[in-house]
Amino acid sequence: MTDAFNIKEEMKKEHLLTGGTFACSGCNPILGTRLVLIALGKNTILVNTAGCMTLTATWPFTPYKVPWVHGAIENGGALATGIYRGLKAIGKDKDTHVVVYAGDGATYDIGLQSLSGMIYRQEKVIYVCYNNCQLANTGHQKSAATPQYARTTTTPPPIGNQLPRKHMAKMMAMNSAPYCATACTSFPLDFIMKLRKAAKINGPSFIDLLAPCEPGWIVEPSQLINAGKLMVESGMWPLYEIENKKITINHKPKMIPVREALKIQGRFKHLTEEQTSEIQETVIKEWEMITKGRFWESEEY
Amino acid sequence: MKDLMDGNTAAAWGARLSKVKSVPCFPITPATEIIEVIASWEAKKEFTGEFYQVESEHSAASAALGSAMAGARTFTATSSQGLMLMHELLPMISGCRIPMVLVNVSRSLSAPISLWCDHNDIMAMRDSGWITFICERNQEVLDSIILGYKIGENKKILLPVLVNMDGFTHSFTRTEVDIPDQKLIDKFIPHQELEIGLDVKKPMTLGIPAMGLDYMRYRAQVNTAMLDSFAVIEEAHKEWEKLTGRKYDIIDEYNLEDAEAAIVMIGANTSIAKAAVKKMREDGKKVGVLRIRLFRPFPEERIRKALEKIDSIAVIDQNISPGIGGILYPEIKMAMYGTQKRINNYIQGLGGNFLSEQDFIDILNDVMKSKKDEKKWQM
Repeated sequence: MTDAFNIKEEMKKEHLLTGGTFACSGCNPILGTRLVLIALGKNTILVNTAGCMTLTATWPFTPYKVPWVHGAIENGGALATGIYRGLKAIGKDKDTHVVVYAGDGATYDIGLQSLSGMIYRQEKVIYVCYNNCQLANTGHQKSAATPQYARTTTTPPPIGNQLPRKHMAKMMAMNSAPYCATACTSFPLDFIMKLRKAAKINGPSFIDLLAPCEPGWIVEPSQLINAGKLMVESGMWPLYEIENKKITINHKPKMIPVREALKIQGRFKHLTEEQTSEIQETVIKEWEMITKGRFWESEEY
Repeated sequence: MKDLMDGNTAAAWGARLSKVKSVPCFPITPATEIIEVIASWEAKKEFTGEFYQVESEHSAASAALGSAMAGARTFTATSSQGLMLMHELLPMISGCRIPMVLVNVSRSLSAPISLWCDHNDIMAMRDSGWITFICERNQEVLDSIILGYKIGENKKILLPVLVNMDGFTHSFTRTEVDIPDQKLIDKFIPHQELEIGLDVKKPMTLGIPAMGLDYMRYRAQVNTAMLDSFAVIEEAHKEWEKLTGRKYDIIDEYNLEDAEAAIVMIGANTSIAKAAVKKMREDGKKVGVLRIRLFRPFPEERIRKALEKIDSIAVIDQNISPGIGGILYPEIKMAMYGTQKRINNYIQGLGGNFLSEQDFIDILNDVMKSKKDEKKWQM
């Protein structure tokens, strides 16, 4: 950390997200919200897009002690743009963090246009995608963030999801975001560090936060943090940041076999040996590309 | 200061005089010139608010919601397909009780594509909870934008306002327009902070899910605010008249006092209908025109009162709801329910088809000899 930020001290402060939400047991996206508020503090405006996190506040209850707004599903980038511009117009934009906290369906799929426009215009907004790899709020349908071969209700076994996921952080870096990163709720300090960094950027930033989901991934609540760790340590979800197109690896994965990460997730239960090997090969190839300076070559994905 | 200007320029002046702070926008024919004029002012530093072109009308409406929630007076403009793309946001903006002004320049809906005016775009958003003014003249467009902020930002109301003009007939036609003195406007609509909004010092949860009866209560409040706005609108109209000498009403009654037949309609073509009525009056025929300026909330009682002594009523719809007919027609029938009137519906002017004085004379003659209520197409 470059600034005076002490996580232990921050944890002692008033919780800006209270308990008692409707989130599932072990929900990692709500944990991600908590981390956002620990990292950025009370001068934060949270912009929600329709998804799991929308239902965390339901009349007459709200768990948020910061301003929170729900718009539609596909307009996170545009709504945040307006909020930032509005604050700027009346001279209230200094020291206020406008943060979009949107699911992967709202980011990778339906809200891509709005996000892309926000980044293109260099709006000072931190966009966090809580990525549980599916449209979870509607009951676990596939999104463009769903890993290849995973089970969702619209890509049921034995076939599973046929398409490989999009690489959003990379895409947004190419979209001219000065700061992009991947993160995982199982690595909270890494995520907090990235948010603190994003807050200092005079422009847009994008953080793709892998956030394991109990009913969607079919993992016991007690094993969700472990599931995230295994995704990172197997190389399936590398943790990196891209500053002005320069990539930095934040955590060197142990490169444990992907089999270890997949076997605790019910959504991969139907995988054949061949499919598991294919995933393993892709992971090794992607990791080589990241580490050997070929990150921006796209044809091999 | 008087000047010759088209409706689009008048709309831009309305926004400028209102000292709007945030203008998210996306171009569409025939409304583009509104944002081009503001852009030219921004380039000359005559406009100092945030002016930003976004990636779609959906995003323009979203950003408008955001900036108005953040406390900045917000303006945007669109037309036709653009209004359709904004549609998802419209009830959200009124549901969050966030005031702003949106100008729509009416243009027919695709397909087939036509750039010319009809009112299907504006009719499609009538249930969105926006106070809606439909204008007849360029001056009225400018004035209604300023009045829109006065009415929408009233703490008893807190609703967005839509000001409608007709594509081409208003947007690209120059007429004399008076630009009021800035000092008058500053006094009329001083900037005031909203009590609801996004402020880190006063955290608030907006756009919250509300289920069952809670949802219904929220929507009931929007309805109540809409109905309450009648009084606020009347008050604003009176104050405006004192300031500028220009008199507005929620309905526009033309030669109705002793009329036996009347046209009921909205929009720019009303001017042609009025000319037709003038001509017929010279021939001794007792005819008139009722223009509905305030479309939502719907001035049901005023319409009934204005038409109560008239036997034959011709409702002109420059729109079509396929499978039933004109959209204004059932609303007028509802307002006149239980009275023994002849009420005909005439669908005309779709896709900007030109209407002459003679067309309106024909309609008035036709409705006077109708034996039963009829729905007709004039083309």
